[in-house]
Amino acid sequence: MTMLPGVQRVGEFEWQVPVGYIPGMRVPGLFFLSEALAGTLEEGAVKQLANVATMPGIVRQSLAMPDIHWGYGFPIGGVAAFSLDEGVISPGGVGFDINCGVRLLATPLREGDLGKRRELVERLFGAIPTGVGGKSALRLSNRELDRMLLEGSSWAVREGYGIDEDIRMCEQEGCLKEADPAAVSQKARQRGMPQSGTLGSGNHFLEVQVVREVYHPEAARAFGISQGQVCIMIHCGSRGLGHQVCTDHLRILEAATKKYRITLPDRQLACAPIDSPEGRAYFGAMAASANYAWANRQVIMHYTRKVLEELYGVAYKDMHLVYDVAHNVAKMEEHLVGGTRMKVCVHRKGATRAFGPGAPDLPAAYSSVGQPVIIPGSMGSPSFLLHGTSGAMEKTFGSTCHGAGRVMSRTQAKKRLTGREIRDTLGKEGIIVKAPSDAAIADEAPEVYKPSMEVVRVVHEVGISRLVARFEPLGVIKG
Amino acid sequence: MSIEELDHTADAKVRVKAGTLEELFSEAGRALMQVMYGRPGKDGRTHPVMVSGDDLESLMHAYLSELLFITEVEGLVISGADLHIGEGIVEGVVMGEPFSMEAHNAGRGVKGISYSGLSIVHDQESYILDVIFDV
Repeated sequence: MTMLPGVQRVGEFEWQVPVGYIPGMRVPGLFFLSEALAGTLEEGAVKQLANVATMPGIVRQSLAMPDIHWGYGFPIGGVAAFSLDEGVISPGGVGFDINCGVRLLATPLREGDLGKRRELVERLFGAIPTGVGGKSALRLSNRELDRMLLEGSSWAVREGYGIDEDIRMCEQEGCLKEADPAAVSQKARQRGMPQSGTLGSGNHFLEVQVVREVYHPEAARAFGISQGQVCIMIHCGSRGLGHQVCTDHLRILEAATKKYRITLPDRQLACAPIDSPEGRAYFGAMAASANYAWANRQVIMHYTRKVLEELYGVAYKDMHLVYDVAHNVAKMEEHLVGGTRMKVCVHRKGATRAFGPGAPDLPAAYSSVGQPVIIPGSMGSPSFLLHGTSGAMEKTFGSTCHGAGRVMSRTQAKKRLTGREIRDTLGKEGIIVKAPSDAAIADEAPEVYKPSMEVVRVVHEVGISRLVARFEPLGVIKG
Repeated sequence: MSIEELDHTADAKVRVKAGTLEELFSEAGRALMQVMYGRPGKDGRTHPVMVSGDDLESLMHAYLSELLFITEVEGLVISGADLHIGEGIVEGVVMGEPFSMEAHNAGRGVKGISYSGLSIVHDQESYILDVIFDV
């Protein structure tokens, strides 16, 4: 097998990027990859992993999950923790789509109950605004938006978009308490107001799935999942509001980088000390955007439940939220570092929290198995449910992969297959796809991603999360 | 002047070439629209634009970020711009047409303009911009 020069193998699936790989590294880099995936690794992604290792106050290692790929700032799949006294916070470690994440809704329906599948997909597509320019039916005032930014999921539930139990089934109960709506600009508000409750475009989707295989019956039972069950997976983020927050604060933090005399190899890593006015402002605005995203997914789940209620007569309360996880976020968490418990600011960019059994912030029902980890596949490929582990707490600040990771550019993808061909092929496999245009489908063909099974196998083997169940798609709506 | 989409695994990377800086900014805006909507807009409406920045790259970053805001909030699909580029400032108007779901659905949403990989070089004949849009 071939590995990039300068990268050292330190375990069956573990690869180290030593200090010195690029100048200024404070800690080594460490990523997880199988031999089968080694050919997909881009030099740019490893360089970005090394860049993160140069940032002040980084603790232990700059990490990347097996879905590592070339992004901006951090690599996608990147995880890094920073000490609160010497460390920094950076939008480059979170990304433009703050709290892009995924939630899994379990229904009492079995695959055999699911007649009218095309109608289901059409109705979902009609109920949930998608794509570029998709506008929400919600009309928020500035004051209502403030409540949404402060409270996240619980705002949506209070407004009638869910049930109390939903709140407990979100990472962080769907709310980062540090949210500061005052740090969210008017521009971000203008972008966010008409978009709450919309799916967006790109790799965001809503998928009707069936549980095809259960690997870990005990954990599946705890999560309320069984073979043959119909579930809905919702993948989206903080829309234009989060994107604008990132853009606004990137500019502020670029000035702060100079002010605090921080030297960086990439401007997208612009950052400030965590406890500086600029760092606090970004954290407050980012937390507000994360709350917006949780509320957004809650509203979309509500529309979904209503469609299922109308079409199949399923009671609203009988469709339970399994869990909601964030993929792009920075959070204050306590972790064991060198034998001492330490509060750190963990950045996850295209990575999922994977807290193990007994960790704080888990619903009581999940405390003995660890949190559910939801890994969406690409359009038309399997998705996975895993559980968090103590291994993740030890190795990766309680983190694991977030998805498959692209291997082919969008320009190459479009040369290979048209959207229509992809839709027809998936249709033959029994997967109904509905999107605003064929162009949106052409970008996201299954073969442009790493095989999701192989990515998940690596995190399972490394022990930073363990497989619970595999889901196969029956219908997809995408933006 | 030219716009070329280059290979990038996760995002949309474009290269824009133009004879003058003003044209480079105008073409960069068209490139953003091409990615977002499948094609740039047509002339019709105008909207004022003004941004500041410490250097050329910051100016371009601020300008494209502003266009992203204008297109999303004002629903304007931009066709070009009439700009004056001064010391640390870009000001003028952008032209375009109103967004419609039917005419502008062949692209993909852009979340932000990346600083990573943003470069502007000037050779004897032209200015060349490389920029990555997070999609």
